[in-house]
Amino acid sequence: MSENELDTTLNLKCKLGMKSILPIFRCLNSLERNIEKCRIFTRSDKCKVVIQFFYRHGIKRTHNICFQESQPLQVIFDKNVCTNTLMIQPRLLADAIVLFTSSQEEVTLAVTPLNFCLKSSNEESMDLSNAVYSEMFVGSDEFDFFQIGMDTEITFCFKELKGILTFSEATHAPISIYFDFPGKPLALSIDDMLVEANFILATLADEQSRASSPQSLCLSQKRKRSDLIEKKAGKNVTGQALECISRKAAPRRLYPKETLTNISALENCGSPAMKRVDGDVSEVSESSVSNTEEVPGSLCLRKFSCMFFGAVSSDQQEHFNHPFDSLARASDSEEDMNNGSFSIF
Amino acid sequence: MKFRAKIVDGACLNHFTRISNMIAKLAKTCTLRISPDKLNFILCDKLANGGVSMWCELEQENFFNEFQMEGVSAENNEIYLELTSENLSRALKTAQNARALKIKLTNKHFPCLTVSVELLSMSSSSRIVTHDIPIKVIPRKLWKDLQEPVVPDPDVSIYLPVLKTMKSVVEKMKNISNHLVIEANLDGELNLKIETELVCVTTHFKDLGNPPLASESTHEDRNVEHMAEVHIDIRKLLQFLAGQQVNPTKALCNIVNNKMVHFDLLHEDVSLQYFIPALS
Repeated sequence: MSENELDTTLNLKCKLGMKSILPIFRCLNSLERNIEKCRIFTRSDKCKVVIQFFYRHGIKRTHNICFQESQPLQVIFDKNVCTNTLMIQPRLLADAIVLFTSSQEEVTLAVTPLNFCLKSSNEESMDLSNAVYSEMFVGSDEFDFFQIGMDTEITFCFKELKGILTFSEATHAPISIYFDFPGKPLALSIDDMLVEANFILATLADEQSRASSPQSLCLSQKRKRSDLIEKKAGKNVTGQALECISRKAAPRRLYPKETLTNISALENCGSPAMKRVDGDVSEVSESSVSNTEEVPGSLCLRKFSCMFFGAVSSDQQEHFNHPFDSLARASDSEEDMNNGSFSIF
Repeated sequence: MKFRAKIVDGACLNHFTRISNMIAKLAKTCTLRISPDKLNFILCDKLANGGVSMWCELEQENFFNEFQMEGVSAENNEIYLELTSENLSRALKTAQNARALKIKLTNKHFPCLTVSVELLSMSSSSRIVTHDIPIKVIPRKLWKDLQEPVVPDPDVSIYLPVLKTMKSVVEKMKNISNHLVIEANLDGELNLKIETELVCVTTHFKDLGNPPLASESTHEDRNVEHMAEVHIDIRKLLQFLAGQQVNPTKALCNIVNNKMVHFDLLHEDVSLQYFIPALS
């Protein structure tokens, strides 16, 4: 994308290291007090995103951060067709979270039309006879919206939930939860005035063998996972690398080919269906598929896929037509002061 | 074997939580003994604990407004359970603003102590939280090792200074040496000493006061200023002091010359005894 192409609708999808960005926006108080203007634009010739802070007295601070282009996959998941929808103030949910000991990897959410229950995942406590099993019931009247079409129990990654709640507490908007049955993804959605964020979490699929011993459950999981790896490895790899977040082992890069066959393989795992993005961009997304390494001796493996959706400006239309106005203009032009619409991703 | 108890009073609940926190700091794993009128947290002087032993006792009446228990048998109407102390204190931590707390012995896949808390919440419905803490039932034949330790006749008995002060002194001393000498006399003086090749540090506490002696006769001829001392591992003392978040109602230190030091504390109505053996 060059700085001269002003008429075309441009869409830059790139990755920036969090470690690079966080220190720049660190001291919120001092930023709010001293900075008059902030400009963010890209210089694609140098593969850099430039963040400029304009202080009083003509002082200007510039940060250049290298970016990596990425072709994120888009998740197809319509939260509006989910049979179960909840809306609650994130603070209330965060209080519930506190109960669970920090070593908890997964948490199970069990709902009925009258009840909401968050509990330690069964699988784990069976292995470690020392683990405390906790359960918390929250009355339906604590929710701003409580609609359960189907009694269900879903299990998902606890750490992700904690992170999402911490993020959502900053926005003061209630958090909406959309889900169905085990295996189908769970969506957590925050809609503030400025920011809309959707987080799609994979849930543990309900195995037939679940009733039997944990050992056999894990074996069947293992088998499925190795199938998945084979399928992925077998393809010709040309697609972009997917960032992996793996909880128990070192991060591992997967190189899937972006074809439909991949989707079916992933679907077996209960991860959200992924489709190649072709043109239609309503959400910029960055996906991370996690697949844990087989840690020798570990009984339970996780095959979660987590999708992290970007927060976009709520004014979609404007964004779509002039997605990166501030990025496209030359840096010496004074008019490109699109205040407000940062694209945080 | 049955056990169920309930606390509804906020102050009692907080006190119980504090006791549980203290126990969690003093012993990673401990034994909970349940009897018709008492609860005890016990740590016996096994080698694994470094010879340290603890005996904490509370009257159940002072905490629970409902208390039912049925021991192993009619003659042995007691229950001994082994648990990880931190599990209990963490579970109790969630009961900060609770309307009620229930504890009972259950068997869900494995024996548990189920702590059930009814929390006050903004709305009309209250939240219910349950924690199943895994426990091990201690068989009858091992009970003899878990009895109240006999307190030997001390050479010196003295009231302790403010524990926070003592703790900060001991904390600094730990950096210099692991070997600490506690000495005290019947004149209200307590010293903490450490000694290395290069340096010797002593902290003196004066005017502490001594409790009236149990048997006057044996100590009549004793020089009041004569110090009884014991050499102990400083880390054990530090662990003990670190567990005392609140200053106790009463704190006593009994020294048996070159054998052991015995701390006898009273936190309102809960008694705690802690024994640290001398270094061999």
